[in-house]
Amino acid sequence: MSSCLMAMLAAIALSSFLFTADPKGQLVISNFKVADAKVNSRSQEVGLARFNLTADLTSLFHWNTKQLFIYVTAEYNNSDGTHNEVVIWDRIVLRKEDALVDVVVPPKYPLRDMRYSFKKSSPVRFALKYNLMPYVGALTYGEAARTEPEPFPPKVGKL
Amino acid sequence: MANLLSQIFYKNIDFEGQRVTEKTTHYALIIISILSFLTGLALQSLQTTFFFFGASVLVLTLVIVPPWPAYNTHPVKWLPRKGTKKSE
Repeated sequence: MSSCLMAMLAAIALSSFLFTADPKGQLVISNFKVADAKVNSRSQEVGLARFNLTADLTSLFHWNTKQLFIYVTAEYNNSDGTHNEVVIWDRIVLRKEDALVDVVVPPKYPLRDMRYSFKKSSPVRFALKYNLMPYVGALTYGEAARTEPEPFPPKVGKL
Repeated sequence: MANLLSQIFYKNIDFEGQRVTEKTTHYALIIISILSFLTGLALQSLQTTFFFFGASVLVLTLVIVPPWPAYNTHPVKWLPRKGTKKSE
């Protein structure tokens, strides 16, 4: 009987490949500012993004979906030339009904750089990505929205 | 109560019965697994899969485990006695 259960679990894990949804959404940055801040008693430049997010990710929910982890990343090359991808917002979606996202969000996580400054950084683009966590099987990733690159705005002063 | 239960359960089944129950469990489990997987896939519910599997296995247990008289229909044919002592 345990062999039967293991075979069923393997079949369930493989069945995830039958469900190839590729939902898209819209990500609009309403306000992105850079300011001076003190984080962990260190003065550094910090980026804060406020945005509107609409996405219908319900097609990702099939029988083997346990939860969705959705997150917004900021991608840019800093003054060293290193490519950075930083998560500035995330949410765990446990139910299919909650997968219909329509939010106007204030900044959740500040954007900070290893060089403590965004001077000479490349233009930044934001993306909405998701991570599907199954009950049994492999984790899958996807991207639902992207914005055009925009240069870092000039510093507005102290936070 | 315990006496009654032991009277029901502590009975042997003959070899043909044992063969039948073994084959039955083997094939029944395979069919149950396939059916419960397909049912769950169709209804898009993992809960359905495992409840169906559990319920079916329970039914299978009731069919296989108690020594039903059907499993005792081929008793062993012992050879006739040859005599108590061999004459010297």
